[in-house]
Formats: sequence, structure tokens, C-alpha cells
Amino acid sequence: MSFLADLLGSQIVRTVLFGAALLGAISGMLGAFAVLRRQSLLGDALAHAALPGVCLGFLIAGTRDMGSIMAGAFFTGALAALTMMLITRTTRLKTDAALGIVLSVFFAAGVVLLTYLQAQGGAASAGLASFLFGQAAAILVSDLWIMGAVGLGALALILAFWKEFKLVSFDADFARAQGFPVMMLEGGLTVMVALAIVVGLQLVGVVLMVALLIAPAAAARQWTNRLGVMVALSALIGALSGVGGALISATMRGLATGPVVVLIATSAVVISLLLAPARGLIWQGLAARRARARIGEDRILAAMQGLARAHDDARYPSEQGMLATALGDAPAPGRFAALERRGLIRAVAHPPETTPHWELTSSGHKAAETRRPDAERTP
Amino acid sequence: MKTLHEPDQALHVEDLTVSYGTAPALWDIDLDIPPGVMCAIVGPNGAGKSTLIKSILGLVRPVAGHVRFLGHEIGAMRGRIGYVPQRHSVDWDFPTTARDVVEMGLYRSLGWFRRPGRAARARALAALRDVGMQDYADRQISQLSGGQQQRIFLARALVQDAQILILDEPLAGVDASSEAVIIALLQRLRDEGRTVIVVHHDLTTVQSYFDWLVMLNVRIIAQGPVAQVYTPDNLRAAYGRHLAMIAVPGPETGAHTRPDPAPTPDEGVA
Repeated sequence: MSFLADLLGSQIVRTVLFGAALLGAISGMLGAFAVLRRQSLLGDALAHAALPGVCLGFLIAGTRDMGSIMAGAFFTGALAALTMMLITRTTRLKTDAALGIVLSVFFAAGVVLLTYLQAQGGAASAGLASFLFGQAAAILVSDLWIMGAVGLGALALILAFWKEFKLVSFDADFARAQGFPVMMLEGGLTVMVALAIVVGLQLVGVVLMVALLIAPAAAARQWTNRLGVMVALSALIGALSGVGGALISATMRGLATGPVVVLIATSAVVISLLLAPARGLIWQGLAARRARARIGEDRILAAMQGLARAHDDARYPSEQGMLATALGDAPAPGRFAALERRGLIRAVAHPPETTPHWELTSSGHKAAETRRPDAERTP
Repeated sequence: MKTLHEPDQALHVEDLTVSYGTAPALWDIDLDIPPGVMCAIVGPNGAGKSTLIKSILGLVRPVAGHVRFLGHEIGAMRGRIGYVPQRHSVDWDFPTTARDVVEMGLYRSLGWFRRPGRAARARALAALRDVGMQDYADRQISQLSGGQQQRIFLARALVQDAQILILDEPLAGVDASSEAVIIALLQRLRDEGRTVIVVHHDLTTVQSYFDWLVMLNVRIIAQGPVAQVYTPDNLRAAYGRHLAMIAVPGPETGAHTRPDPAPTPDEGVA
């Protein structure tokens, strides 16, 4: 692990590592609420709309001053959110159309401003293009302080208004009917998301920032049914993605940190969608298979009991082919063996016929009684 | 203290008009519901039933009119009104449990910064017991059936111990056993002297479930005790030609079904 120690010995790597972890934690925590409130795309629009603000901030400050650039980004992001609200309230356009329009108009304005500033020349303006996809190496220690302050502020607000944020995210109408200041609470959550985006611009860039909001939350949702656990887990996944991305891009030349962070976070989503217990696709597939097997077995038992009753012989030897006909299609070959293993049926010979025959055991009769396919099954 | 306006009515609505765009969704609503009744609000699709509920609760801003509960404005009554929104208005895959949802009904009385504690938990469990859902307290809410989800919503309103309950389609998409539980509970609340106001879609059960009735179709068509209001003329006025599918109580036969009007374009039904 000495090379890891070497890496961490470098001031730049340490700064990037901390910054990426902080940003991942912040956007993971706030992204959980954004995803639950179905505002993932709003985050995307806000991020794209931040680009003209970045340029304006640069234009006003005259240099690449982080404070004015972040203020500009926040300003145009908020302007975009307001525009979207106005469009959906005053016209017949739906939210998705409004989002699409606002996102592209603001982004186009940002790109125009960006190319204009670059044509004007100046060493500093060349770095502006890095806000498109982020440039982790440009992070300064002073930026870490800003990130830390934003993160702590957001954490404090979320802890203080936990139950209100939860209520508003789940059922805003009920919250309003109860007299909660829903506008303020929803606005507060949106402003925090906007802040997280502004903070992340330098690292991940306007184009990919939304992934850092959505991916940790989407992954975390798979593993838990509790909001508190989901928010904490989302922050953790975000932070780990940040750390992983920073380390990978530090060890391999030519890999941009931001996109690597995004790739790690999205692979966490893929893994979670597949593997998470109960909600994961693999588990759901297994559960569906088990349910199919159970229904198949129940039908075999019921058919055998029906034959036994028709012949007034509890140990009536049912011929396998006859059961297949009774069931409408041949059961999977393993079903009989599985039932036999569990002691519900047993193989019997029925000379002179040589085909397989089965009879119900006494526990098989009992199982057929309680597990009749048409019997009501409570979940 | 402000003087009370119409304090004898559980709900008093005057001149209420709501419009989305140019078309009025509710027009000149005058409405009085006395305390201690179980009232159904019925009307065809698009009649403005949900809009009426949302505007009296202040969720939709009316262009005209005023609303009073027991003489008070809504702002002074928030804690004493239990609201059960339509079940489909929320995402049931939200990561939370049944008990958690019921505790949300107590958030207001807890006040800012305080988290629900042991007392809140006990009250939530009691409300769950009232709706027969005590065994499901720790279930993730997406694992519940539609009827069970509706009962959770009802428990969230119950836990407030509200004087007035307002429910938006609590029986829509609900299984028979949940419907029986919900109606029995609402009738018990009514018998305790509370006022229960329900947006209802099933005309066949209006007479057996409710004792007060409001018929709505953008305007108020009729209001009053069910026995006086549930008449063929009023039903026809509220539902128009859509009434074909609905049993209309005839004056002498008790109930008969109107034949479906032939779908010829020139036929007009008054």
C-alpha cells in the first residue's frame, strides 16, 4: 500500500480526494430528496442553466474567482427554475416540455457566452471550458472550505426539519392542509439542491452533475425501506464514488476525475438494481420462480388428491402421464422429484404398467388440503 | 377575537367560485353542512368534487367566496380538521412504514424541531388498531393493498382526533372488507358528534351509508338530508344523460333503472 501513501502524500490528490468525497456526500444526501420528489430532471436543468452564470461571474469579476462564479451559477440556475415555474403555471405546456426548453435555452446561452469569452482571449478564460465536464485538479483548498460549509449547512437544515421535509416529500397536499409552509419547505429543498450543483460544477461539470444527484439516491433506495437509512446510505455511496473516482484518476494518466466519479456512482446503481435483496431484479426473478414452482406443485397435489377421491382410494397410484393431461401441460420434470424429496408423494409401481406412478403420502394429503390452488392465500 | 361567522354550521361556504383558466370549475357555491352528520358529496366526473374539497381546505385558491368551519377561518381550524387525500395522490413506493405515515398526522401538534416520541408512537398504534391495521404497523407501505393503504390514510387523519373529517374518494378502488371497516368507523365518528364529509362516487350506496347529501355539478344541484335530496329530479339535474347506468329511486317502485338512451345524435336529454 505504499503507493497509496505516496498518492496521499500529494497535496493536490488529497484536495481532490476530499473535495470529491464531500461533494458526493452532499449531492447524495440532497439527491435522495430530489429523487423522491421526482425532481431529478429539475436538477439536470439547474445544472445546465448554471453555465451562463459561470461565464457571467467570470465576466463581472474579470478573473476566475470562485466566489463570483458560484454566485453567478446560482443566480442563473434560480432564474431557470423560476422560468420553468412561470411556463408551467401560465401556459398549457407540461413540466417536461418546460424543462426541455429552459434547459436547452440556458445551456445554449452559456455555450455562446463561453465561446465569446474564449475568443476574447486571456489565459484565465481558457479554463472556463472545464466547467462543461469539470476539472478536479483545479480545486483549491479554499474551495474545500466552501464545500464543507455548504455540506454542514445542508446537513443541519435536514436534521432540523427532518419530519417536515419527510412529510412534504411524501404528501405535499396533506402538509398544506395541515398548515405547514409547504412553499418554503419545498423551496428550501430546491435551493439546497441548487447549491449542491453549484458546488459540484468545478469537479463534475454542468453536463454530468445530475448523475451525482440521482445515482447515489437510486442505488440507496434499493437497499432500504426507511427514509433515514436511504438518505445516509445515499450520502455514503456518493462519498465512496467520489473517493474511488479521485483515486482512480490519480493513479491512471488521462482519466478525468468527474466522469470517473459518475461512472462509479452509476455502476453502484446497476449493482443495486440487480442485487439488492427484495427489490433487486435477481431476487425478484428468484421469488417469481419460487412462486411458479409452488403453484405448479400445488396443482400436482390437488390433481392427485382429486384422482384419489374419485377412486375412493387415498393411496391411488396416479400415472404421471394422466396427471400431465389433467393439468393441461406436463409439469417440469423436477417437480415430482421435489415433491418426493419433501415426503409429500412417493413413487409406486403399478404392474403391469411400466410408466411412473405416484401416490400421495398422508402429509401429501394434508398439504393438498391446505395448499389448494384456489384456497385463499393471505399475503 | 374576531366574531364568528355562521358558527352553527360545521362547514359554511358562500359564493365560492374556482376557475382553472377561463372555465369555472366551481360556480357560486353556497353550502351549509351542519355538525354531526355524515355527508356525501356526489356528482359526475369533472363536477368539481375534489376541487371543492381542495378549495375549502385552502389548497386551491378560489377567485371569489369565503369558507368557515364552525364559524372560523381555515387557518384557525387546521388542527381540528382531518384530511384524507385521494390515495393516488402520493407515491406509495416512498421509503416509509405504515406507522410512520400515521405519525405524520401528529407532526403539526408536535411543532417544529420535535420528533415523534413514545407518546406519538402509542397514538399512531391506537389509530392503526381503529382501522384494523395494527399488525401492519412496520410494513413498508408499498406492500399494502389499495384498501389497506386507504385505511392507513384514514388512520393518519384519525390520530389527530379532529372534529371535522374531510375525505376525498376514500372508497375508490377499495376491497369490500376495507370498505366495510372504513364506513363503520366513519359512522362511529359521526355518532360521537364529529362531522364527516366524503367525496363519494358510488350512488348505489349513498342512501345506506350517509345521512346528508350534496349534489354537485360545477354548481350546487341540491343539498340536505339524503331522504329529501336523493330524488330522480335532482339526480337527473346533476348527472344528465349519464344517469342511464345508475339506479334512480322511483316514487312508487322504490328503485328502477332508466333505459340507456339510444346513441342517436339528434336525441337530446334535458
